[in-house]
Amino acid sequence: MDNFASLLHGFGVALTTYHIILMMVGVLLGILVGVLPGLGAPNGVSLLLPLTFTMDPVAAIILLTSMYWGALFGGSTTSILFNIPGEPSSVATTFDGYPMARQGQATQALTLAFLSAGFGALVGVILITVLSTWVAKFALRFSSPEYFAVYFLAFASFVGLGAASPFKTIVSMGLGFAFAAVGMDTVSGGLRLTFGFNELLSGISFLIAVIGLFGIGELMITMEEGLRFDGIRARVKVRDVLKTIATLPRYWVTLLRSAAIGCWMGITPGGPTAASFMSYGLAKRLSRRKEGFGKGQPEGVVAPETADHAAGSSAILPMLALGVPGSATAAVMMGGLMIWGLNPGPMLFIERPDFVWGLIASMYLGNIVAVLMVLATIPLFASILRIPFAIIGPVIVVVCFIGAYTVAGRPFDLWLALAFGVVGYLFKKLDYPIAPLVLAMVLGDKAEDAFRQSMIMSRGSLSIFWSNGLVTTIMLIGLALALGPVLSTLFGRLTKPKASSAVA
Amino acid sequence: MISRYTAEIGTATLAAGLGLAAVIGALEFGIGWGDAGPESGAFPFYMGLLVVGASVGTLVQATVGRKGLQSVFLHKEEAVRVASFFLPMAAFVVVSLLLGLYVATAIYLAFVMWTQGKYRLVVSVASGIAAAVGFYLVLEFAFQVPILKGPLEAALGIY
Amino acid sequence: MLKKTSWLLATAVAVTFGGVAQADWKPSKPVEFVVTSSPGGGTDNFARVVQSIIAKHKLMDQSVIVTNKGGGSGAEGFIYTKMAAGDSHKLTFGTNNAYLLPYVAKLAYKADELTPVAAMALDEFLLWVKADSPYKDAKSYIDAVKAKPDTFKMGGSQSKDTDQTLTSLIQDATGAKFIYVPFQGGGAAGVQLAGGHIDSNTNNPNENAGQWKAGAVTPLCVFSPTRLQGNVKVTATMGWSDIPTCKEAGIPIDKFQMPRTVWLPGGIPAETVAFYADVLKKVSETPEWKEYIERTSQTDRFLGGADLKSFIADDDAKNRKVFEAEGWVVR
Repeated sequence: MDNFASLLHGFGVALTTYHIILMMVGVLLGILVGVLPGLGAPNGVSLLLPLTFTMDPVAAIILLTSMYWGALFGGSTTSILFNIPGEPSSVATTFDGYPMARQGQATQALTLAFLSAGFGALVGVILITVLSTWVAKFALRFSSPEYFAVYFLAFASFVGLGAASPFKTIVSMGLGFAFAAVGMDTVSGGLRLTFGFNELLSGISFLIAVIGLFGIGELMITMEEGLRFDGIRARVKVRDVLKTIATLPRYWVTLLRSAAIGCWMGITPGGPTAASFMSYGLAKRLSRRKEGFGKGQPEGVVAPETADHAAGSSAILPMLALGVPGSATAAVMMGGLMIWGLNPGPMLFIERPDFVWGLIASMYLGNIVAVLMVLATIPLFASILRIPFAIIGPVIVVVCFIGAYTVAGRPFDLWLALAFGVVGYLFKKLDYPIAPLVLAMVLGDKAEDAFRQSMIMSRGSLSIFWSNGLVTTIMLIGLALALGPVLSTLFGRLTKPKASSAVA
Repeated sequence: MISRYTAEIGTATLAAGLGLAAVIGALEFGIGWGDAGPESGAFPFYMGLLVVGASVGTLVQATVGRKGLQSVFLHKEEAVRVASFFLPMAAFVVVSLLLGLYVATAIYLAFVMWTQGKYRLVVSVASGIAAAVGFYLVLEFAFQVPILKGPLEAALGIY
Repeated sequence: MLKKTSWLLATAVAVTFGGVAQADWKPSKPVEFVVTSSPGGGTDNFARVVQSIIAKHKLMDQSVIVTNKGGGSGAEGFIYTKMAAGDSHKLTFGTNNAYLLPYVAKLAYKADELTPVAAMALDEFLLWVKADSPYKDAKSYIDAVKAKPDTFKMGGSQSKDTDQTLTSLIQDATGAKFIYVPFQGGGAAGVQLAGGHIDSNTNNPNENAGQWKAGAVTPLCVFSPTRLQGNVKVTATMGWSDIPTCKEAGIPIDKFQMPRTVWLPGGIPAETVAFYADVLKKVSETPEWKEYIERTSQTDRFLGGADLKSFIADDDAKNRKVFEAEGWVVR
C-alpha cells in the first residue's frame, strides 16, 4: 500500500492555511464561472492560468482544480433553477432537476445534486489513489476502435428512451450529427458543410446549441405561459437541506452505479458529458418508476450528477499519467503543467511525487470544501427565484447571450444562439426530444473520427471492431443496449398501432 | 391563431431543409466507401438523408392524422406574449452587434423593465446601466474576458 | 549567475539604445495575443510562455490578453487576423500553418494578407518506434517497412499537416510505404504508439519525451541538420544528443523543422512591426525562454526581417512541392 503512504505525504503538502484559502477562492470563482453559461470550467481555468505563472506549482494546481470543482457545481445550479446548463456536463441534470424546481423542490434538487456530485468526485479520487498504476496501463490498451466502441456504448445506453415519435427522435439525432460534422474534419483535413462561410469554419459549438435550445427556448416557453417561474413560492429552509441529506442513502444503488459509469467514462476518454447522459439513461431504464423520469424524479438528478463528477475527477488521471487529457478542462490544466515546468506523462509520478500526491490530496480536500460551500449558497440561489420575472427574465437573456459570446468571441454565435432558441421552443412544443440532438453533437465528430481512424488502420474492414476481447465486449454490451428497447418498442407499436400520433 | 397541424408541417419542413443542406454540402466530397473506410462526405450525407426521410415521415404522419391535430398550437394572447419577449431579444442581438454587448444590455434591460415590468422609467434606466456596469466589472476585471464592444466604449477609451 | 548578469546588462543596453530608436510607436491599449490552437496545444504553450515572460520582465507597458481561435486547424485565428487589417494591437501566434493552410483548404485568407513579425524557435521532428520493437535504428525499420508495404502504421497529428507531409517525404526519399493514421494531436499519437496500436510516429521531442523517459517509446533519428543539444541523459543510456540525425541514419532528408511564428494583420506600419519584433527579440534572450526551449527540446533560432522572409519563402516552396505531388492542393 505504497500509494497510501504517498497520499498521507500529499495531505501534508496540501494541508496548509494558504492552500485551504486558495481552495475557497478557487471554488468561489468556479461557482461564478459555472453559473454563467458558456463561460465554463475550461475558460475559467485558462483565464486563471496567467495568474499562476508566478505561483508554486502545487499551489497553482490547487487553485485550478478547486475552480474546476466550483464550476462543475455552479453548472448544476443553473441547470436546476433555470433549465440552463452552465456546463455541458450538466445538461442531463436539467431533465429532472428543473421539473423538481418547478414543483417547488428547488432546495431538494440542489441539495441532492451537490451531495451526489460530491460523492461521485470522491469515488473518482479514491479510484485514482488506489488504482493509478493499473488505470494508466489499462488506458494504454485503448485505440480508435475501442474509442468508437465506448462512444457507441454511451449512445446506445441513452437512445430508445422516452415516448416521443421515432421519426422526431431520428430528426433530432440526425440534426445533432450533422451539426457536429460542420467545420474542419480531422481525418481528411478538409472543411465540411461550411458553405463558404468563415463563421462556420470552427464548427457549431455545442455550448451555443445548449444555450439556445435550453436557455432561450425555455424562456420562450415560460413567457408564453405568462411571465413567471413556478418555483417562486419555494421557501428555503435550512431544515429542507438537512432533511434531503437524510434521504440520500435511499439512492445508494443509483449512486454506486453512476459513480462506476463516471469513473469508466473518465478513464476511457468518453468524458463527463457522455458519462452523465449514459448514467441518466441507465438509471431510467433500470428504475421501477420509469414514468416519473423527466417529471422531477430525484434519481434523475442523482444519476447524472454523480457520474459527471466521478468522470471529471477520474479524467485527471489519464492527463497526469499519460499526458492525454480526458476533458477540455484537463487539456488546459495540462498546458499549465508544462508552463510550470512539469511534463505530464508516465514519469510525473516518479519525478514529482510531491506534486502528484499533493494534487490528489487536494482533490479530496477541495471537494469537501466545495460541497460545504455550495450547500451554504443554496438559500442564496433559491432566493433568485423570488425576483420578479420582468427583471430576472431579461437578465437571464443577457447572461445567455454574453455566455454565447464568451464561448469563442464570435459575434456570429449570437445569431446562432437565437436560432437555436427558436428551434428549442418549436421542438419542445411539438414533442421533439432535444437530448438526442445534444448527445449527438457531443459525441458525433469524436465517434466519426474514431470510426474512420479504425477503418484506416484496418484498411476498410469492419472486423476491427471484434478484433480483441476488449473492443468486442464493449461493442456487444452496446449492441444489447441499443437493440433491446428498439425491438420492444417496435413490438409494442405493431401490437397497438397509431396510438401516438394524436398526442397533443 | 396557429393550429398544431400548421406548426407540425412548418417545423418538419424546416428540419427537412436543414437535412437537405447537409446532403448537398456533403456531395462536395466523396460519399462512397474507399479502401480507407468511408470518405469524408459519407457521414454527413447519410445523416442528412436520415433527417430528410424522417421529416417526410413526420409530414405524412401529420397529414394522415390531420383531424387529430386541429388543436390550437398558439393562442392569440400567447402569441402576443411570445412576440413581446422574442422581438426585444432579437433587437438586443442586433443592437449588440452594432453598439456592443454592454450598451445593448443597458438598453434592453431598461426597456423590458419599463414596458413589461411597469417600473418607473428612471428606475428601469438606472437598473439597466447598473447591470451593464456590473457585467463589465465581473467580466473585464475579475476574469479579463473581453466581450463585444462598440463605439461608446471606444469614445470613452475603454478597451 | 554570470549568465544572468550579462543578460540583464544586454537588456539594459537594448532598452536604453533600442528604446530611443523605437520610441515612435508603442501600444496604446491592451494587446491581444491570438492563439491559433485550442488551449493546451503547442502554439498555446508558445504564446503563453511569451506572455508570461513579457509580464515578468515588463517588456511592454500594456497588458496582454490571450484569446484562443483554434478552429479549422488554426484557420479561424488567421482569418480573424486578416479581418483586423490595420489593427496594431493583435499579435497572432502560429507555426508554418500560417502560410501552408491556404494550400490544403479553401480558406478566406492568403498568406500575404498577414505581416510576418518573427519566427522564434524551430520545433524538431523525430522518428519514434515502440521501445520493445525489434528496430534499433532507422535503417532496419525502413527496410522492414519496405519489405511489407502498406502494413506499417504511421501515426500523426491531423491530416495534410506537418506529420503527414514528413511521412510523405520519408516515403519519397526511401521508397517505403506507410499507412498514415491522423489523430487529433501529437499527444494522442504518442499514447497510441506507447500502447502499440501504431508502429511509429514523427512526434516533436516534447510530445514524446515523457513516454521516452518511461521506456515506452524510443527515438530512431532526428530530422535536423545537426544533432540536438543537451548532454543530460534522458534514459539510462541515451540523451537527446545521442540521437543520430536521419541523414546519418540512412534516411536522405537533411532537415524538416517547424517554425514557431508570430504575425500581425496586414497594413501595419513598419515601425509597429519593428516594435513587436524588438519585444520578441528581448523575450528570446531571457533565461525563461532558454528554459522553455530546453524543456521542449526545440532549436533556438530567432528570425526577423529579411531572414524571416527568405526562410518563409524557402519553407513554403519545400512544403508546396509535397502538397502538389500528393494532390492536396485545393483549387
